Amino acid sequence: MRDTGEAIIKRTAVIIPAYNEGKIIRRTITQLEPYFKNIIFINDGSSDNTRQQALQTNAKVLSHPINLGQGAALRTGFDYALLNPQYEYFVTFDADGQHDPKDAVKMVNYLISHKLDVVLGSRFLGQAANLGTSKKMLLKAAVKFTNYTSRLKLTDAHNGLRVFNRKAAELLDLTMPDMTHASQINHRIKEHNLSYAELPVTITYTEYSKAKGQSALNSVNILFDILLNKATKKW
Amino acid sequence: MVAIQILLIAGIGFLLIWFFKSPSSSKMRAWKKIFGVLFTIVAVGLVLFPQSANDAAHAVGVGRGADLLLYLLTLAFIFGTLNQYVKSKQDEQRIVELGRQITLLEARLPQAKRSSSKQ
Repeated sequence: MRDTGEAIIKRTAVIIPAYNEGKIIRRTITQLEPYFKNIIFINDGSSDNTRQQALQTNAKVLSHPINLGQGAALRTGFDYALLNPQYEYFVTFDADGQHDPKDAVKMVNYLISHKLDVVLGSRFLGQAANLGTSKKMLLKAAVKFTNYTSRLKLTDAHNGLRVFNRKAAELLDLTMPDMTHASQINHRIKEHNLSYAELPVTITYTEYSKAKGQSALNSVNILFDILLNKATKKW
Repeated sequence: MVAIQILLIAGIGFLLIWFFKSPSSSKMRAWKKIFGVLFTIVAVGLVLFPQSANDAAHAVGVGRGADLLLYLLTLAFIFGTLNQYVKSKQDEQRIVELGRQITLLEARLPQAKRSSSKQ
């Protein structure tokens, strides 16, 4: 039975966590709206006008009472989305305008046609416009490390553009509230033997998103968190 | 290898294992209290019988009682720091869960109005 495009859209939820993205969030969401109808936005305790901006769109706006971290925001988004039994497909999408809505569409269709549990976007398979060399090197190193800790072979381990089917979404159980969640997602894929694929996606680095990007130093925190959790068996 | 080296390394190893393997439980808390009381007794004993520190030090291959005390103090400090860290991580988990539940409850109320308007 082939799903029509519209039927797929009705059953797809897009989850967008954001912290202090007031300048860009309205544009990001409105650029998604032609392609997706069910957008769930999580304001992670922003101190700027992120929430107001998001309320101007058609997205459902959830707000954390205080800043809890992107991992926690994603989890909240998934918890909320999973409440609706109509949703079969779940897309995670970055708030800062780095992702292309058309890539998300492509990934959802691929997930369905290939009957996969997870589809991951990879900037190293596709176009990474304006990616600085040091950041590129750091990302590649991060990929190696994440592949080692999650025992998954990916080309891009920290891409926020991902698609999950309901089965995968229900198994995520993201317990890391901060940026470590990215590694935990990959670990879950391996842990539950979920079928997955990576698709090339375009990441657009603008001056805005580069300024806001994760600092290289934060990798130290992530590394420590992962090792600590592995040692205490909470991973 | 001098006795003190073995004791200290074993002590550090034990602390690390203890912290990273056992979750906080009433058993743990009881042991920590017992440890605290013993520590106090030893501390008072050392004050009343300062020579005992030197005797104990010589017994494990350390020159002076003060040095032995310093080594033990270091272990105690590591213990305290690790304890703090683990507790703080546990607190963080609870706060995050509380925050998320509030968010979800609010989201499911029709026209939920926020009393504290924090943007």
